[in-house]
Amino acid sequence: MSTEHKTPKDFRRKVERADRWSRRVITTGGYGIIISIVSILLFLIYQSLPLAKGASINEILSMPATRSENPVVLTGVDPYLEVFYELDNRGSIKFYNVDSKALIKEDQLPLKANEKILTAAKGNLTKEIFTVGSDSGRLITSSIEMKPEYTKSGRTIEAMVYQEEEWQAATENDTIPNHIEKLTFVENSDGTRVWSWIDHTGKLWLRIYDAEDEEEYLYDLSEDISGQITSFSLSHNAENLVVALKDKNVYWFDISDFEKIQLKDRWTLETIADAVNYLLGDQAVAIGGQDGSVSVWFPVRSPANLFKFRKVHEFISHNAAIDQIYVSSRNRNFLTVDTKGNVKLHYSTTGQTQLEFKPADFPVTAAAFSPKSNAILVVDGQKRFSLYNLENPHPETTLKTLFGKVWYEGYPKEEFVWQSTGGSDEFESKLSLIPLIFGTFKGTLFAMFFSVPLAIFAAIYVSQFAPKRLARQIKPTIEIMAALPSVVIGFLAGLYFSPLFEEYLMVIFLFVILLPLFFLIALFIWQRIPEKMQARFPLGIEILFVIPIGIITLVFAMSFDHVVEQILFQGNFQQWLYSTLQITYETRNSLVVGFALGFAVIPIIFTVSEDAISNVPESLSSASLALGASKWQTVRRVVLPAASGGIFAAIMLGLGRAVGETMIVLMATGNTPIIDLNPFNGFRAMSACIAVEIPEAPVGGTLYRVLFFTGLLLFVFTFIVNTLSSLIGDRLRKKYARF
Amino acid sequence: MIETESGVFLEKTKKDEILTPETKIDKSVKPVLAMSNEKIVIETKTLDFYYNADAHALKNINIHIPDKKVTAFIGPSGCGKSTLLRCFNRMNDLISDAFHTGEILINGVDIYKEGTRLEDLRKQVGMVFQKSNPFPMSIWENVAFGPKVNGINDKDELNEIVESALKQGDLWREVKDRMQNSALDLSGGQQQRLCIARALANKPEIILMDEPASALDPISTGKIEETIEELKKNYTIVIVTHNMQQAARISDYTAFMMLGELIEVDLTKKIFTNPTQKLTEDYITGRFG
Ligand SMILES: Nc1ncnc2c1ncn2[C@@H]1O[C@H](COP(=O)(O)OP(=O)(O)OP(=O)(O)O)[C@@H](O)[C@H]1O
Ligand SMILES: [Mg+2]
Repeated sequence: MSTEHKTPKDFRRKVERADRWSRRVITTGGYGIIISIVSILLFLIYQSLPLAKGASINEILSMPATRSENPVVLTGVDPYLEVFYELDNRGSIKFYNVDSKALIKEDQLPLKANEKILTAAKGNLTKEIFTVGSDSGRLITSSIEMKPEYTKSGRTIEAMVYQEEEWQAATENDTIPNHIEKLTFVENSDGTRVWSWIDHTGKLWLRIYDAEDEEEYLYDLSEDISGQITSFSLSHNAENLVVALKDKNVYWFDISDFEKIQLKDRWTLETIADAVNYLLGDQAVAIGGQDGSVSVWFPVRSPANLFKFRKVHEFISHNAAIDQIYVSSRNRNFLTVDTKGNVKLHYSTTGQTQLEFKPADFPVTAAAFSPKSNAILVVDGQKRFSLYNLENPHPETTLKTLFGKVWYEGYPKEEFVWQSTGGSDEFESKLSLIPLIFGTFKGTLFAMFFSVPLAIFAAIYVSQFAPKRLARQIKPTIEIMAALPSVVIGFLAGLYFSPLFEEYLMVIFLFVILLPLFFLIALFIWQRIPEKMQARFPLGIEILFVIPIGIITLVFAMSFDHVVEQILFQGNFQQWLYSTLQITYETRNSLVVGFALGFAVIPIIFTVSEDAISNVPESLSSASLALGASKWQTVRRVVLPAASGGIFAAIMLGLGRAVGETMIVLMATGNTPIIDLNPFNGFRAMSACIAVEIPEAPVGGTLYRVLFFTGLLLFVFTFIVNTLSSLIGDRLRKKYARF
Repeated sequence: MIETESGVFLEKTKKDEILTPETKIDKSVKPVLAMSNEKIVIETKTLDFYYNADAHALKNINIHIPDKKVTAFIGPSGCGKSTLLRCFNRMNDLISDAFHTGEILINGVDIYKEGTRLEDLRKQVGMVFQKSNPFPMSIWENVAFGPKVNGINDKDELNEIVESALKQGDLWREVKDRMQNSALDLSGGQQQRLCIARALANKPEIILMDEPASALDPISTGKIEETIEELKKNYTIVIVTHNMQQAARISDYTAFMMLGELIEVDLTKKIFTNPTQKLTEDYITGRFG
């Protein structure tokens, strides 16, 4: 008896235990999926969030007033922020340790007794080479090297001063030497050096040492300029000189041909420019006005095909006249310093003023970016040194540059541009996401144009019209298409299909046009066949007629393509396209991608919508048929509306797949990030762009983060598409599919 | 076609055997009973129906269905009542392997005659299904569906048809203020009456009903029965029912079927009181079924 009682109890306990366990496993699985999706999202946000961070500084050194009265004319810091130097107007160069503030080395420029430095200028953004101009008319060029030395105890910075050259400006008489009042100096990558200065008579001089031919040139530019000069700047490649005058005129000289200095342009400002400076890239000039205004100008090609300087960006103004501008060696950052000692940090391309600070109560006499642009060194009138750490990881990306039109240097107008890498260090990456978003949607659109009608008509045919036996064969065949790796489709499309497409463009064009026509003819003939004969064919045999009609159409298209091309397109379609519509034909174009991508999404759309249509209860179609509706009326008026939710979901699923699809768009397009609806052009999709560029993007850099942000956008797009599909799908289902 | 050769071969011989010219119409077999004193609307001659060569669902059915009367089909489950009913509007054509021998005449015309439009036949022979199956559309759209697919587009005309059909279906009072609401919001009984009204909107001659009240509560069933009572003045009604009382209450004639054969057809009164066949009596008195 007892054993009989025990068994059902045991059994019940066993069932309960199994229940509990399965519940746990299922719950864990469900939460696991949610957690992994959320963590992907969080990771994407985490990687792209630093893009939104602005610039910030914090003071790492403040060294109060020093031992000598002589004002500082030049300062700088080594790349590791361990040693900085000052050069005073007596030619004394002192190196200090940042941490201990101790004087570690002292040197002296070869000045004569009582000779004073009136002006000093650095000549290179990456090297500490500089020239000083003295009151006795001498230009003394020297360089400083602060080299790291690795010893057992760690890294020490070895500071050295090298004398490069001296030059004496000609004097009219010895009693009044030719003062060098203000000076700019450039040494370009070839070693060519250019000096430009104003002497005490107000004359502007230009001296060039051509390193290649070892020749020297000296020009008096005052002949071309009339008026008092307020500021001037040489471009870092030693090809341009801009000169601002008190009468608000600015002169632009082309000095690239050393034998023939050319005045290229002259324009008038709204204010007197007290400071001008060429930015990195040698195109854009930052102009600081006496009224405190800050603007960036660069040459833009005019309709007459001449380059004219135009004001492109304007920044937050200072409250006092600007007297110094310092340029970053890494990016389009520059510092403006006004006479009251306020400092602002701007970024040229974005037009943003990123920072504003006042290092001291006294005017600033000299400032410098560190070589890596990760610090700013400022000296005030009381010889107080301040060193600031500059945290400014991604100044070139703002919402405006990612999604808006930006006026880049060398471009005729504001544009959406994606160009992440260029030839030189001065190259500025242009990271507008609009071309990529456009590309993604262009590809998706073409794919949907091609796949949605095909897939849905196929689904309708298979579920409603095809003989059962045929349907049973077709469905798995199409589903197998989904298992085809997209890299195979992309490969075939890009390497095999696209050249074929180009070669047989006319044939395909004709085929697409003629096929429906031939079908109509065939249908017409079919209706002429007496019903008795029709009835002899098994149901669904019509599908067998499709193939011969297709073949006949193809043969027809292939034999008449030349004739049609001759008549309609003057013998060559691509040339006609170019000459009449100004459209260039790319081999890997959007049509090819549309086919390939469409091919990839057809199985999804087909399967899901076929299921939806088959799931419409037979009782509904029976009711419709019993009311005298024809098969097609039943499909159109009853079955399709009832399946509309599912069909909609199918299209959205296909859309989601097409938006995220990578390999096909990567391999079958030229990946050119252009915004152009023309079907014979390529495009670059977000997903393909990520795949192409992420291996090249330095980890943590702007491109890297922008690519992650692109990924985040893709995620959001897919999320929106899916949410929309389930919302609208639900509504449709509520309305039509309550059976 | 893509099946094994032997499969195709086998299937063909069996079906061909059934369809030999001699068996097509066997004039020697007499109808079980003909109601000759009435005007006949539906008539079958030696009708044999096969769902496939192995499923012989109807055997030698010879029946006359009189005009403007209610004829009930009764019989045990699986005896072929629904099958026979669906023969009358060719709904069985939808089943791919099904075929038949013999003739089905409506108003003396073979419904399989060449040139017969299926749509016209089904417009003429309406049908109400066992499970109510309103379309997921508004009430108005449901009723107007038939006329619309049969080519009536005039809004006023449709409104008129919808109103009169709903009145005949005894639903007008209940739904006239919510014609645009979804038909799926109606109760089960209302849905079935809507399906009747939907069939009536086509102005059919004959209405086939396959156990129209079997899924409904007694009150709804009563309403449907009243509606049928009302309808028989203008329509020929053929109804399948499992409910003997219902058959007795509403029908003028009753046909008793068993195992795909028509056993007896007669006035309902006669069938229920004094059937000629022993089988019929056994079934009526509940000795089996
Ligand atoms: N689609 C079909 N394919 C094959 N056999 C079928 C099909 N439909 C019905 N049958 C068979 O045909 C026979 C008659 O079926 P039918 O539906 O006409 O019976 P019925 O009298 O209406 O029964 P019930 O009272 O249960 O509705 C049954 O044996 C059934 O199994
Ligand atoms: Mg039945």
